[in-house]
Amino acid sequence: MKAPPVSISCQDLTLRFPVYGVDAKSLKKHLAKITVGGKLGRHHGSTDVTALSHLNLELKAGDRLGLVGHNGSGKTTLLRALSGAYEPDEGSIEVQGRIAALLDLSLGIDPTATGYDNIRLRGRIAGLSSRQVDERMDEIAEFSGLGPFLAMPVKTYSAGMQARLAFAAATAVEADVLLMDEWIAVGDADFQKLAHRRLLKLVERAGILVLASHDVELLRLYCNKVMRMEGGVASEVTPIKNLDALMAA
Amino acid sequence: MDTATHMLRTGRRGPLFEYQMALRDLRASAERLDLAWSLAWHDVVSRYRGSILGPLWITLSMGLMVLGIGFLWGELFRVSVHDFIPFVAVGIVFFGTVTTTINEGCETFVQASGMLSQTSLPMLTFVWRTVLRNLVYLAHHLVIVAGVLGYFGFWATADYPTAVLGLFFMVANVAWISMLVAIVSARFRDIPQIVQSITQAAAIMTPVFWLPDRIPPRYHLILDLNPFYHLLQAVRAPLLGGGVAPHTYLFLAAMAAVGWLVTFGIFANTRRRIVHYL
Repeated sequence: MKAPPVSISCQDLTLRFPVYGVDAKSLKKHLAKITVGGKLGRHHGSTDVTALSHLNLELKAGDRLGLVGHNGSGKTTLLRALSGAYEPDEGSIEVQGRIAALLDLSLGIDPTATGYDNIRLRGRIAGLSSRQVDERMDEIAEFSGLGPFLAMPVKTYSAGMQARLAFAAATAVEADVLLMDEWIAVGDADFQKLAHRRLLKLVERAGILVLASHDVELLRLYCNKVMRMEGGVASEVTPIKNLDALMAA
Repeated sequence: MDTATHMLRTGRRGPLFEYQMALRDLRASAERLDLAWSLAWHDVVSRYRGSILGPLWITLSMGLMVLGIGFLWGELFRVSVHDFIPFVAVGIVFFGTVTTTINEGCETFVQASGMLSQTSLPMLTFVWRTVLRNLVYLAHHLVIVAGVLGYFGFWATADYPTAVLGLFFMVANVAWISMLVAIVSARFRDIPQIVQSITQAAAIMTPVFWLPDRIPPRYHLILDLNPFYHLLQAVRAPLLGGGVAPHTYLFLAAMAAVGWLVTFGIFANTRRRIVHYL
């Protein structure tokens, strides 16, 4: 069976966030408000933030999209929406192909479990079967370079070792659509070189890359298209050669 | 909710659509029950890494508690140890499963926030993870039940099929309660304390450590209206050679039906928002 071609399609995508203050997270305070009947404070302490507003995006195989924009402009929210974690309030998102989101490497890492267990867990979450994880275990273990430490709990690792483990496990997936929040090369200089090569291979295999980054050089290196986000509103997707003009606009 | 290679997310299209999407989540989580099982198994294995007795550690401490309470309280209540220890053992084991599944339910989504915010995994997978994990622990604790029933000679008179039926009713109810508190705890961070207070109160109000027939008739409502009593009774009574009153099944079936309807309704209406609560 031939799968349909890899693609991303967002139509009129709007995503609003409720932001809850401390008060809004307390049931007791909610009840107190009801019984006293007071309308003090802002709307139960929660405010809606429009993180993405009427965004349209069409990507097909071979597209390497760079996302630029200030902090809080909606880049990460868009990546999370593309990963399927955030549901749109209006419009739609459709993604064809296996998605891998490398947004936050440390997520899903259980510090009390061993390195091996964490690799297994991460692989299962990424959609691999137990057998597939076992098949890849040697390769992942070797790449991490952690050797005998893999049998020890992750909480005994140094920060750099944890980063190596997380990176090795997270990048062991096969993906058609690769979502990245900043280029995640980690570890010491040697490992960074290895990590870089591994990421490149992953990017080459993937049909579509969406990379959010502040690093202009990096974007020039890996992306062929670019889109600028500002306050949840996206610019047109333009070829990467227009990056300077886009940033200046 | 999606196949491995296709994902579609859309905005709200009315209440009916929200229920359809919630059902899809349910179906997807059922198809990937093996993932929930892997997560649950990971929890069990990693919690006991490094301790020699492994998960039997809790079983051992629970066993000691059964013996202590069995002998001492049996003496205080002037009940024969022969009757009281099996009663307490079965009670502690199954009541423990009920309360920890509910208490740990509070953490279900909060703990999974990392995975929920960057994957399209079905949300209910994490509810099943909590339930399955506690069933694995229950399987360990059954050693105590088996030992006690064997030693005191109840194994021959126990009605196992009826006990399994009771266990089914128990799990069917505990699962929705665990799911309900998971959703509500994600939204309101003071819920876990409230839930713990309730389960603690339930441990006192429910005949786990005391015999139900000691209660004066005028207080009988404490048993009749206590859901925990019915949950426990459906499993415990058949194991100890007693019958289960028909109204216990009626109570549990009604509770499961209403509970699932309400909880599923809440899930359908909050599903989109849960990840933002975290």
